[in-house]
Amino acid sequence: MTPLLRLIGVKKRYGAVEALSGVDLDVQQGEVLAICGDNGAGKSTLIRVVSGAHEPSEGRIELEGRPVAFASPLEALKAGVATIYQDLALAPRLPIWQNVFVGAALTRRLLGFLRVLDKRRMMAEARKYLARLKIDIADTGRPVERLSGGQRQAVAIARALRWNARLVIMDEPTAALGPAESRQVLDLIRELNRSGASVILISHNMAQVVEVATRVAVLKSGRKIADRPVEGLSADDLAHLVMVGQLPQGRPQPKAAHGAA
Amino acid sequence: MSAGFDWGRFLATYGTALAAVILFGFFAVAASNFLNPVNLLNVLKQVSFLAILGLGFGLALTTAELDLSFANVCSFAAVVVGGLIHHGYPPAVAVAAGLLVGLMAGTLNGLLVTRLKIPSLIATLATAAVANGCAFAVTGGIAFVGRWNPDFLALGRGSLLGVPVLILWTAAAALLVLFVLKQTRLGMDMVFTGENDEAARLAGIKVRRMKLLGLMFSGLAAGLVAVLLTATLNTAAPNIAADYLLHAIAAVLLGMTMFEPGRANVPGTVVGAATIGMLGNGLVLMGAPYYVQDIMLGVIIVASVALSASTLKKAAFGL
Repeated sequence: MTPLLRLIGVKKRYGAVEALSGVDLDVQQGEVLAICGDNGAGKSTLIRVVSGAHEPSEGRIELEGRPVAFASPLEALKAGVATIYQDLALAPRLPIWQNVFVGAALTRRLLGFLRVLDKRRMMAEARKYLARLKIDIADTGRPVERLSGGQRQAVAIARALRWNARLVIMDEPTAALGPAESRQVLDLIRELNRSGASVILISHNMAQVVEVATRVAVLKSGRKIADRPVEGLSADDLAHLVMVGQLPQGRPQPKAAHGAA
Repeated sequence: MSAGFDWGRFLATYGTALAAVILFGFFAVAASNFLNPVNLLNVLKQVSFLAILGLGFGLALTTAELDLSFANVCSFAAVVVGGLIHHGYPPAVAVAAGLLVGLMAGTLNGLLVTRLKIPSLIATLATAAVANGCAFAVTGGIAFVGRWNPDFLALGRGSLLGVPVLILWTAAAALLVLFVLKQTRLGMDMVFTGENDEAARLAGIKVRRMKLLGLMFSGLAAGLVAVLLTATLNTAAPNIAADYLLHAIAAVLLGMTMFEPGRANVPGTVVGAATIGMLGNGLVLMGAPYYVQDIMLGVIIVASVALSASTLKKAAFGL
């Protein structure tokens, strides 16, 4: 099966600094791929390249087998690749429905020639997107600032669903959240995945990666040093993999066939 | 489980509007002649000008930009309108020229802010200075006054079915802005731009265009008031609208404490303009020295911002 997203030999240089030194990476349809690595390993750069914020210096990106070059996050969004930033890019004082439909409002005709906002439909559809994520909010006219951290994340994801995102990139979604809200976000990721989208999850929290991801890629100094299924790994195994570059002694090593560089 | 009436929320949302009604009642009792129809018509004029200027300022503010030039732009547009009428040009030409001056000043502000990346506070202050200079250049420092075309004067002094046209102009402007902000994609995009421009940009909103439009609306409002002002007063002086700067800003900020606390909103701006308008008039009628009004304006501005920024929002939304 053609991978949803494929990176081939992607390099990114900032001046003399090579932040990515030729990364190959596949994201399969319907998987949750975790990308791990220490600070400075190249995770953020990789995300910026995939999300259209930065262009790669070398290498190719293919979406469903077709080469793509996103000039901006908006282009990526239109192609179905949505990035959810750490600050969620929400307007806290505005109602949920406006945050879901920002930049993509639904309109209806008034008196045959005026195009006006179809608020009722946007409120109803925002509720449906949230319901797909198992978040039940009856009144989507509420301002986002009155929601919990987890619910806000759901609003940001609902916006991605509004753009029919097939790949959702989440950058440290639980970094600023407490345990209960982190749990809610992990559930959101699962529901998002169940509704058909692939997810790239950037995280420092190995326990969460083990819990929610199906595959993990480890970056170190701009290179991919591991790429394997998460199944059978413990959080400690994963931490070892990130720090040392291999699994602890006596554990099965990453399969060469799966492309460890 | 009883859902009692939420007084905190009610006061937070309508408290200052209520205060305006009380103020009206106070002047009605305490200031003789306040309720005199001639006086009320005078108040109404001021309120109309303040409201329309405030609606424009509020649209720029909605996109998180300040327009400090609208009063000087209004004066400049007024002397252009007055000059053309004074020299016998048809009213249509004068009106078009006045609106155009306002629109061009707004466009200039917008381009300075979005293209040259000059903060609107600075850019519009500069535009204000230039407009002020231009207004004096056009008139040579004197005022145009004379026997003007009655068709032109009717734009400010006339009435339709017994309703003064100034009320109709103001109502039309308010309804138009309300429609744009609440019912159109443009309005939704402008509001989102003002709340979080980076998020708006990521969602494909043309942020620079929204800010440009906000400032253009403000300039256009100044042009419209220039027409109404000259038609109402039958005169055009280079500093004719100077006082409106603080008055209209105070009206908008006061309006931000009601209806939609924390955000420039149409009903709030209209009520704010009515409050500021009758305050000035009532104080004069009660024999207060002229400078009292300025002091009160300053207090209102600070108090409004303090209220809408924190307490009211807390009370309204329990944050």
